[in-house]
Amino acid sequence: MRSLQREPGLLLALLAVVSLVAIFIVYPQLRVIATPGSGYIAFLTGGTWQRALLNSLEVMALSTTSAVILGFIFAYAMVYTDMPWKPFFRLVGILPLLSPPFVVAAAYVILFGPRGVITYGIFGQTISVFGLGGIWGVQTIAFFPFAYQLIADVLSRSDARLEQAARNLGAGPWQVFRTVTLPLTRPGLGAAILTTAIYVLEDFGNPALIGGTFIVLPTQAYGLISGFGDLPGATAVSTLLLALALVLYLTKIRLDGGRSFVTVSGRASSMPRPPVPVKLKWACFAACLALSILILTVYGSLLVSALTLNFPTVMTPTLQHFQYITTGTNGTALQNTLMFGLAAAAISAAFALLAGWLVQRVAFTGARVLDFLLIMPAAIPGLFFGIGYATAFNEPWLDWLGRGYLIIIAMIFWNIPIGYQAAVAGLRQIDRTMDEAATSLGASSLRGFRDILLPMLSGSLRVGFVTTFVRAVTTLSVVIFLFTPGSTVATIRIYQLVNDLNFGGATAFTVADIAMAIGALVIVGLIARGRTALIGRAAAAQVALVPPLGDTAGRSPLAR
Amino acid sequence: MTPVLDRRTFLKGLGVVTVAAACGGAATPSPTATTAVATATAAPTAAPVTGTISVYSALNESTNNEFFKAFNVAYPNVKVEVLPLAAAGELQTRIRTEKASPKADIFIGGSSEFHDPLGKEGLLEAYVAPNAKDIDAKFKEATGLWTGWYTGIFGFISNDTRIAEVPKAPATWDDLLDPKWAGKLVLPSPITTGGGYIFMATQIFRFNKDEDKAIAFMKSLHANIAQYVPTSPGALTLIDQGQFVGCPNWAHDILTEKGKGNKVTLTIPSDTGFEVGAISIVKGTKNLPAAQALVNWSITKEAGDLNVKLSNRGSTRADVAPAAGAPKLTDVKLVAYDRQWATDNKDRLIAKWRTAVGL
Repeated sequence: MRSLQREPGLLLALLAVVSLVAIFIVYPQLRVIATPGSGYIAFLTGGTWQRALLNSLEVMALSTTSAVILGFIFAYAMVYTDMPWKPFFRLVGILPLLSPPFVVAAAYVILFGPRGVITYGIFGQTISVFGLGGIWGVQTIAFFPFAYQLIADVLSRSDARLEQAARNLGAGPWQVFRTVTLPLTRPGLGAAILTTAIYVLEDFGNPALIGGTFIVLPTQAYGLISGFGDLPGATAVSTLLLALALVLYLTKIRLDGGRSFVTVSGRASSMPRPPVPVKLKWACFAACLALSILILTVYGSLLVSALTLNFPTVMTPTLQHFQYITTGTNGTALQNTLMFGLAAAAISAAFALLAGWLVQRVAFTGARVLDFLLIMPAAIPGLFFGIGYATAFNEPWLDWLGRGYLIIIAMIFWNIPIGYQAAVAGLRQIDRTMDEAATSLGASSLRGFRDILLPMLSGSLRVGFVTTFVRAVTTLSVVIFLFTPGSTVATIRIYQLVNDLNFGGATAFTVADIAMAIGALVIVGLIARGRTALIGRAAAAQVALVPPLGDTAGRSPLAR
Repeated sequence: MTPVLDRRTFLKGLGVVTVAAACGGAATPSPTATTAVATATAAPTAAPVTGTISVYSALNESTNNEFFKAFNVAYPNVKVEVLPLAAAGELQTRIRTEKASPKADIFIGGSSEFHDPLGKEGLLEAYVAPNAKDIDAKFKEATGLWTGWYTGIFGFISNDTRIAEVPKAPATWDDLLDPKWAGKLVLPSPITTGGGYIFMATQIFRFNKDEDKAIAFMKSLHANIAQYVPTSPGALTLIDQGQFVGCPNWAHDILTEKGKGNKVTLTIPSDTGFEVGAISIVKGTKNLPAAQALVNWSITKEAGDLNVKLSNRGSTRADVAPAAGAPKLTDVKLVAYDRQWATDNKDRLIAKWRTAVGL
């Protein structure tokens, strides 16, 4: 154990991390929570939140269930069967994670609305995507990839030897699945369900565009701000949302912690899994194909829209939308998106690594509190993270700090949980004796961290970097109250163009934004050489905020 | 990754951002490049106005670009930085959250309902512009907290190919209660859009401020409504595409959609309401002369004519002719719209409506 008293450098590093967390995570959120003040009573007695709360819980239950079922089928097919086209399915399964909000939901309306290109144009049906049914369907597709990534991660860690043993003892495939696979993966599944539920709970874009008269908590909060200018009411809704998300999150962490006994070793065994029946394999293939076609249709329509004059009425091919988004303010927005994303991702990943090391390897009072604070942003809706910054840091004496920097700082700390979880997972795989050898040879622990651990943690760093980058370039809610004319970004422009009825421009921006995210994944993946593995891991980290590096032995200090 | 490399990327990242921020500032076209052709009405009499102003604008993108370009012709030395968000409520919220250190000099566009509360909270700078003498008293705040510079009339958009599914485009708002409209009607959300609220307030004035009758109407209408759309323009898209048959919305925006070649028709039901689009100066502005110049310029005949051309809206100036095909305030049957009452009772009425329809 290191002693803080003996190492002033370590003490300084710890103080730096603690004060940055206090200033950029705790303080802005306290400002948000304190905003309503006595307004909480008015809010609670007003009662308009009850309907939104019930709606939120209802849609959360429905969408989470269907997304997890689809995700499970997808994951099972990918992990257990030897069906063809797996790389293709893997790619399609990531696509919905990389896309900015709003435009995708608009594409659903064009394709599946009462006069949708597909529903009415091809099938002559006038089903409505608006309302609960629509939200349910769209959220299922939007969030199944989250469930898929998480469950695939869990399934791939279940020990094939146990399943082989059961089969050798005469159990049928279904019996093995029911009595071996499912019990082994149950805690992981629970965590996957709860994580997906948090994402569904906080989804704003889909309910806003196709919710119809069905109001959920995030759309209610937005409505209070946008229509009433009722910031106290909106922040009260946000506090309610935060409380719900925290309950889910803490439950999830408990389940994650319980995962340690699931498998004997953290490494996937080299033994092949028992073969699944041929019929089941092709059924899985058909299901994955159908889902992939649906996803490709939606994203394909975005690409078509970006390349045609006025989709879906005027289908003349054109490059004018791409010319439009690369010139003037739009060009600046694209440039900003890239720069802000890169800066935020680099700093966030590095800072998270340092924080992860301090919490994991340095003994100090309050380590568990710091651990909790570092994962808390994962439960804060982006809109209120942004409002917290707008309220807390809009002081005259801070005006020298350009808004671009504030946006970067907001992106850094909103995404801290990802890099942090990746760092914690990475550290748990490295035996303490490695860096202790360095310190017993006389090196300071900071030097041990720098020279011994850091080189071994490059994987965690990369996962943190790439995932933070993807989230930073696709978030609208964090920046909407922070951007200024000079510091506008792609997602803001997409939102403005959708409002301005320039769907062509909006989809071109969306395509460029998705391309940027894919580019980051590919480039960092190439650097890491283990391409697909990293992409999968980064995606899993993005969705899961769980240890993404095959950690099975450790637990979060919260669950200890 | 070695620690050295890591530090280097870190610093490089920072440097790149610094450069980007610097470039961002310089990238906007230099105002000196435009030729100075100041018209008689717009010409400043005092010392030349210079510097930068930050404008929070709820206007359409195309209107923003042309409008501020024309302002720059009159005032070539003022650099206008526009923050466009076609959602006045969000701009209003931003101005509130930024009150400790305001980032906006001007709040332009959006009906006066969004400006008036900010004035009451002491967040706006009063300014009675010289040109305001040409504006009727009902279009401006008496002490100059906000000035009305355009008008919009609430109309009804219907999709030409689907209108046969319903009896007819509404001649009165009560026509929309016909059960044949069920599921074929959308309305901009009264919660998130100025238009949606003005529609609801219009009903109250139609029933001579009998709130219960008006809320009962809104409740019956609720049965026919498929979607309360979060933005007014978003509702127009749905009618353009024929997803739904009709929607109460702004006449000028409906004309613009028609002008793009969409098969839609504008009708103005009797007893309709209207908005007064406002401009105001945010208290704490760092460039008061330029902000005042923009307010004064926006109510010139020149600016009025330009805005009519760009957006099909009306002008608060009597000497600006309306756009072709656009209704005139004097030609349509309007309710006695008590703007101050509607503004002051907004929160209460929306809460009442929400309770009635269960949203």
